[in-house]
Amino acid sequence: MPNLFTLVLQITVILAVCRLVGSLFRKFHQPRVVGEMFAGILLGPSLLGWIAPQFSAYLFPPSSLGFLNALSQVGVVIFMFLVGLGINPKELKHQSHAAVLVSHVSITAPFVLASLLALYLYPRVSDDSVSFTNFALFMGAAMSITAFPVLARILNERDMMQTRLGTIAIACAAVDDVTGWCILAYIVVLIRAAHGTASIWMTLGGILLFVVIMIYGVRFLLQGLERTFHKYGEISENRMAFLLLLALGSALCTERLGIHLLFGSFLMGAIMPKEPKFVRYILDRFETITITLLLPLFFAFTGLRTNVGLLKGPAMWFYCGLIILVATSGKLGGSTIAGRLSGMPLREAAGLGTLMNTRGLMELVILNIGLDIKVISPALFSMMVLMALFTTFMTTPVLEWICPDRILRPEFGKVPAKEAQLQGSIMESTGGSAA
Amino acid sequence: MSGSNRNFVLAYAFLVILPLVGLAGILKAGRSLTAPISIDGLWTLRVDSTQLDSLPCGKVLAAVPDKTIAIAQSGRTFVLTFPSGQKLTASGTLDGTTLRAFLTPPEGSSDNNCADGHQLSLLASVDRKAGSNLLNGTLSAPDCQSCASVGFHAERQAPVASKGGH
Repeated sequence: MPNLFTLVLQITVILAVCRLVGSLFRKFHQPRVVGEMFAGILLGPSLLGWIAPQFSAYLFPPSSLGFLNALSQVGVVIFMFLVGLGINPKELKHQSHAAVLVSHVSITAPFVLASLLALYLYPRVSDDSVSFTNFALFMGAAMSITAFPVLARILNERDMMQTRLGTIAIACAAVDDVTGWCILAYIVVLIRAAHGTASIWMTLGGILLFVVIMIYGVRFLLQGLERTFHKYGEISENRMAFLLLLALGSALCTERLGIHLLFGSFLMGAIMPKEPKFVRYILDRFETITITLLLPLFFAFTGLRTNVGLLKGPAMWFYCGLIILVATSGKLGGSTIAGRLSGMPLREAAGLGTLMNTRGLMELVILNIGLDIKVISPALFSMMVLMALFTTFMTTPVLEWICPDRILRPEFGKVPAKEAQLQGSIMESTGGSAA
Repeated sequence: MSGSNRNFVLAYAFLVILPLVGLAGILKAGRSLTAPISIDGLWTLRVDSTQLDSLPCGKVLAAVPDKTIAIAQSGRTFVLTFPSGQKLTASGTLDGTTLRAFLTPPEGSSDNNCADGHQLSLLASVDRKAGSNLLNGTLSAPDCQSCASVGFHAERQAPVASKGGH
């Protein structure tokens, strides 16, 4: 049984610190999510556990962390559903050459560079129970992700959603996230299948069957929900509960199939009808509790697993610097070159690269999975969390420096109002309070 | 094929397809790399408690209830803790199959002989014949010339197979 006093105390402290630090970061024109990520690290062994170990042990006794983790994971499951809800596959079909090239390069460049870096890091920060292939693929997937919700929030705050840069960035981020999650799913399947009883072909067959059922079966049910919404202007509590059950059921299926809970909830969100008003309605019902209560718990739990103290000696900090350098040059550099080759002006291409380099919360989700399946070590986890913080933190100031407002707004073509409205909705929720 | 299409195809081949071919080469090259031996996980320590008592700070270790050691490994470095016991921690290094660590007892330790920053030194080697699931080593007090070192064995609890696989 959880110690309720400890659990409620933890939640209270976490929410207070996350709100406080998040608000402080907003004063420096940073998305709130960066502040909340930072707050999580402050509450962990890197700061609180270091300066006040007894208070830290009182507030976060090891026996209590399982309950905190469970709550935070529920939050991330719902959050991934909201992220999936924000991705509209139809928008991705009609992208220009520039968007196709940039999105693919922004995956391959950091992926290949991360794999190269893995050649150097594997003998130094891993161990022989992890194969090089899994290590390199994980590093690639982790470095090629873009934080779709945080990116959307930054674009909204800067009124860039309707610019060419904004639409390309959001489409590329969506492609990156979907691809990154597919690669991660593949790695998780490989690792779990290697030690499970089911063969990998059974697992892959099961996943394929599940995806087909979701796309051609469950999606049909969801269209019925959308029709009900249009008819009555709302959805009954029973139907909302049914929707939540479908999301959780989908998450359970993917966990059972040997991937991870989060893939199921993400897929469920991705196959939802994308009519903007319907999407907004669903988001309104899920966002507040998820973004303001459950996600800060996830940041705190991630912070509790992040121990900067593990980076002992100049060598470890050198590896950390190298990770940040490779992640930034792969994502920012790759996207900038691709944008430039697609005919974008240099500043706009560099702005796109900067936006694509935002990793934020999605990176933390992936890293936690990596630590759970033990494909990365605690020290490497801490380095990668620092990289996620750094690359997300640098986005706004670098963007302001590279792309002043006059470059961004009026002269570039506008996207249809419906798309802008939908993206605005997504930001206020999936990126919203958290961002 | 129009000029812009040709440029797109060339850029795509150069920036996407070529790196992917390179990735295959990297993955192939990486297979020949060897990482440090895995020592991560929970280990059950088997040591004679009466012998431990004779070491400065040995009582602190002897007082740990189930003698379970948790090792969190990051390459050649590791952190060693006792999940069920006092806040006894150690940072160590791994050199081949040899582990070296210094255990620092918590402040305000009940062991009267454990003042003035005494430490316990741990030196052990991984038994590869036992599937790397067995440690053999000694505990000693580096600043006590007259104290004899105490031998110990440790057996890994969780199978290594739960990790990120081959």
